Amino acid sequence: MVFPSLEFAIFFPIVLAVSWALMPRPRLWKPFILAASYVFYAAASVKFCLLLAGVALANQLGAKMIDRSTDEGRRTYLMAATVAVDLGVLGLFKYYGFFSEEWGALLDDIGLGTPLPLLAFALPVGLSFWTFQAISYVVDVRRRHVEVAPTIDVALYLSFFPHVVAGPIVRAKEFLPQLRTPRNPRDVAVGPAVVLIGIGLVKKVAIADYLARTVVDPVFGVPQAFSAPDVALAAYAYAAQIYCDFSGYTDIAIGVALLMGFVFPINFNCPYRATSFRDFWRRWHITLSRFLRDFLYIPLGGNRGGRWKTYRNLMITMTLGGLWHGAAWGFVLWGGLHGVCLCVERALRGRISLPAWLRWAIVFNLVTLGWVLFRSRDVELAWTFLSRLGDPGPATLWTFPVLLAVGVTIGLQLLPPRPLEAIRVRMAELSPATLAASLALVIALVGATVPANAVPPFIYFQF
Amino acid sequence: MASIDDSVPKPPPGRHLRARDAIVVVVAVVVLLVLFKGASIRESGEEMQPGFERDVVLAVGRPAGWVADRLPFDEVGDRITGWLSSDDDLGTAGGFDRPIRGGRAGTVAPVTPDSFDPGTVGENPARRRELKTLLVTGDSLAMPLDVEVARRLAPDGVKVLRDPHLGTGVSKSGFVDWGKLSTQQVRSDSPDAVVVFIGANEGFDMPGPNGRDVRCCGRDWAAVYATRVRRMMNTYRQAGAARVYWLTLPFPRDRDRQEVARAVNAAIEVAAQPYRAQVRVLDMVPVFTPGGRYRAAMTVDGRQQIVREPDGIHLNGTGAEVAADIVLDAVDRDYRH
Repeated sequence: MVFPSLEFAIFFPIVLAVSWALMPRPRLWKPFILAASYVFYAAASVKFCLLLAGVALANQLGAKMIDRSTDEGRRTYLMAATVAVDLGVLGLFKYYGFFSEEWGALLDDIGLGTPLPLLAFALPVGLSFWTFQAISYVVDVRRRHVEVAPTIDVALYLSFFPHVVAGPIVRAKEFLPQLRTPRNPRDVAVGPAVVLIGIGLVKKVAIADYLARTVVDPVFGVPQAFSAPDVALAAYAYAAQIYCDFSGYTDIAIGVALLMGFVFPINFNCPYRATSFRDFWRRWHITLSRFLRDFLYIPLGGNRGGRWKTYRNLMITMTLGGLWHGAAWGFVLWGGLHGVCLCVERALRGRISLPAWLRWAIVFNLVTLGWVLFRSRDVELAWTFLSRLGDPGPATLWTFPVLLAVGVTIGLQLLPPRPLEAIRVRMAELSPATLAASLALVIALVGATVPANAVPPFIYFQF
Repeated sequence: MASIDDSVPKPPPGRHLRARDAIVVVVAVVVLLVLFKGASIRESGEEMQPGFERDVVLAVGRPAGWVADRLPFDEVGDRITGWLSSDDDLGTAGGFDRPIRGGRAGTVAPVTPDSFDPGTVGENPARRRELKTLLVTGDSLAMPLDVEVARRLAPDGVKVLRDPHLGTGVSKSGFVDWGKLSTQQVRSDSPDAVVVFIGANEGFDMPGPNGRDVRCCGRDWAAVYATRVRRMMNTYRQAGAARVYWLTLPFPRDRDRQEVARAVNAAIEVAAQPYRAQVRVLDMVPVFTPGGRYRAAMTVDGRQQIVREPDGIHLNGTGAEVAADIVLDAVDRDYRH
């Protein structure tokens, strides 16, 4: 089930009403909302509900054993074993096909044949998100950042429907305390929620899908058929598309959670405004970057072991961060490119002083270059795409609506944030009747832009 | 232990109301959408694959549509939002809703020369013509085949029109009527050749010759399906001016879907019979699922490679390369480029 769908439009009002009705009785509310979340997940894949439940139970078992143990070494061992289970599930479903094929090709090249059976596992929706949340719970229990929660809370933490399929990656210490006491029915952030849902729908349906249809998919599909102006436009259009697609999803997820009385962390903060790569990763997919920082970069040693170890840790973190997005060399290269840029930036810090506009231009264009690797998935296609940038020719796709969509998406992030925030807050202060009418109008308008073949899935669903 | 509640994010600024107001706002949005878009909810439900979700959507959509039909709001809504629509107007020509005339009972329709591929009767094959425009169309199965074919023909300057329509099917014609769409595609582009790969979303009831719905997947359903496919083939072949390459369905993993695929493939073979001179049926079953058995991987370029998407329905990039080889071999026999 996706947010911009009829199924969700039927599901959500019922769940919202029953949820608030049961909220004062946690013994009824928790089983209800857990069941509702599994119904939501089952609409995407029934059979993987068992996997989701299994991962929740395995992590709860691990967390309880860690909690009971007073021996630090044993606690660490139990944490590692539980994390290994999570990574094993992730590896089997997400990476087995890729690595077995690559490994088979390598062995084949040296005449040893294919040693592993090739299987195409169906990827459970949101697997990367809920396994990371499971890891966050177990590690935070090991670190004593959270207490062991009741099993139903853990199951709900992993499966809560607003974030189960594509995040944001909510940390256990952010979510579990919100389950401890019923949400306050007199203090629901209705205004901000409705505004976020409206903005998210516009971003996803009206901008991201439009750019995908008109520019991105045609050019990335067959770059050979287009020349430099169109290829360049497609690169910037993809930068706009992926931002609108993923941040649009997050906006809707946060808005839906707010209506239910829960608060999620923000996931995007004008990423194309960044003037350094460090800055970019504090603005783009914030919940992933802080997960990678806290659970990978810092445990690897962070910046504590001298310059070269810091570079090593940055490269490992960013390359694995790239691989987290999918089993393809394009993602690895994308992560590697960001790792190299972070290392170079670190090496040059304090040695070169560039004006802010130039730093922005360099970062933005390198980020866009990275998106070409990300979107192309394979190196050959990325190279073909980039080589077309040297081929002058007509601009066949430069239409006013496309330029407007790309310009507005990127341009709005460059404006001073305060006036925009003031407008958003003002909208969030509107009366309930105006909010409802406005959201209905937005849904009708963006719905009209959807072609008959319906809304394509969010890009991040596949991760 | 660190102070845990400090970690809980703060809500964004804006109006905070009671939970009851949140429910009222959401319900008001739903009511407004039912009034203005009720018929669309019903139509969307009718287009969904059979199952629980479809039943739920129709349980809401049918009464919503009933209400919307009796109020003027739906029309107003369409007028307000119509300019934003990204769908082409397919017109009415060629639609499956228009019945075709059948032969009278007891009579035999004459067999035309188009029923024979020249080679099968010992004639010289038609001269290879220049390929200028190739249309690759269908449902999601046509992706990424369309991309693969376009990439390979791009260096030769062949214009490849990629026009897949996701979620559509020959047996579901509510949103996209392939009878109308094929007519419109030919009218607007007059392609020299057409590659069709469709069938991931089939199995829907279709009205039979007597107007009653025919259920999948017996002979009656296959006959109605074959009639629709034949009409599309006839449109695409443009009175013999173009060649059509119609791919059969490699069997999907799911057994229920296999039953549909079997009926679809049988229907495609039957549909092509009067147009063998122009329509090539490219059988994907022996290539991807020999003996009708699903397999995710097969030997490609001398080594085992995965050729199916994890959904067990679609071809992945490698599978699309294999299919493109077969398509382009067939195209090369008819055209030079």
